[in-house]
Amino acid sequence: MLEAIARVIVWLALGEVLTRLGLMPVPGPVTGLVLLYLDLVWHKALPDDLGRLADRMLALFGLLFVPAGVGVVAHADVLRAEFVPILAAILGGTVVTLLATITSLVLIRSWAKRRKQVSVADPGEADARA
Amino acid sequence: MPDPQAWASLPEQPILEVGITVLAFFAAVRLARWSGNNPFLNPTLIAIVLVVIVLDVTGISYTTYLRGAAFIQFLLAPTVVLLAVPLYRQTALIRASGGLIAAALLVGLPTGVLSAVGIAWALGASKVTLLSLAPKGVTTGIAVGISEAIGGVPALTAVLVISTGITGAIAGPAVQRWLRVDDDRVTGLAIGIAGHGIGTARALQISEVAGAFAGLGMSLNGVLTGVLLPLAMRGL
Repeated sequence: MLEAIARVIVWLALGEVLTRLGLMPVPGPVTGLVLLYLDLVWHKALPDDLGRLADRMLALFGLLFVPAGVGVVAHADVLRAEFVPILAAILGGTVVTLLATITSLVLIRSWAKRRKQVSVADPGEADARA
Repeated sequence: MPDPQAWASLPEQPILEVGITVLAFFAAVRLARWSGNNPFLNPTLIAIVLVVIVLDVTGISYTTYLRGAAFIQFLLAPTVVLLAVPLYRQTALIRASGGLIAAALLVGLPTGVLSAVGIAWALGASKVTLLSLAPKGVTTGIAVGISEAIGGVPALTAVLVISTGITGAIAGPAVQRWLRVDDDRVTGLAIGIAGHGIGTARALQISEVAGAFAGLGMSLNGVLTGVLLPLAMRGL
């Protein structure tokens, strides 16, 4: 388990350095994510310990955002000036984004499936005609 | 007789703040499970409300709490790195879903920015607020940088980003149930693009596929918005 923790911390540290040097356009932890992913793809293997560590920590992912959420309440006064437009934009904008993304992906998927079925059915039809 | 000095060391360590946070989340998870994971009883949101109530009742200041709870917040960084694991496990499915992923970003990214800015603009928000809102769907670290670059208020953006994440984490599974979406890749991508890290945390509870695609949607949306939004603003 220690090896898995060390591996994560090393890639996180390297990610922070690469980001601070301006070599990656994303925050350090996201650079670390990319580095660990490339490491796993390179070795073509996921050690059991690392898999278990990820499952345990990601099960608690929601807990780690609680302090930031309390921070929002603490800084709620920045919202006061334009509360209604901001609230509407957050609630409305997020729901619209979800609806638009999900609906278009479902449509694309069913369209792709229909096209596949047609292209599979076509030769059969041609055979029948012949 | 117990040592009366024993209690004195508590406030010097973040035990109290960490303890409040962990207990609040524990209670919130129990409540969410008891409700059959009702999307509206999101554990993160309930835990935030419980912590705020405890702080108000006990008179512990937000500043003291946030200083102590920074210990929990630190764990966020290595946990984001660990998102590489579900991504690696789903590599084959991700490679086969290139078109779906591209389409999700093509629709989700501009819709996320324009819907928020459009709604706030229609309701008469100021220009600074609109600029601070534009990167609201992107993970905090990137969003704050964008906000700074395009002339928003980074502190306001940070608050908007967290609020958006909680909204996405609640509305995502609700929309999934309402539209009866049976493809976890679709649900994951949408939640990751609309609700970044907090949405991804929720998507991981749906399934590993949903979690992996949410992490992917969050990362790609963050990078692309970080590059494209400042460019688009310069063009205006």
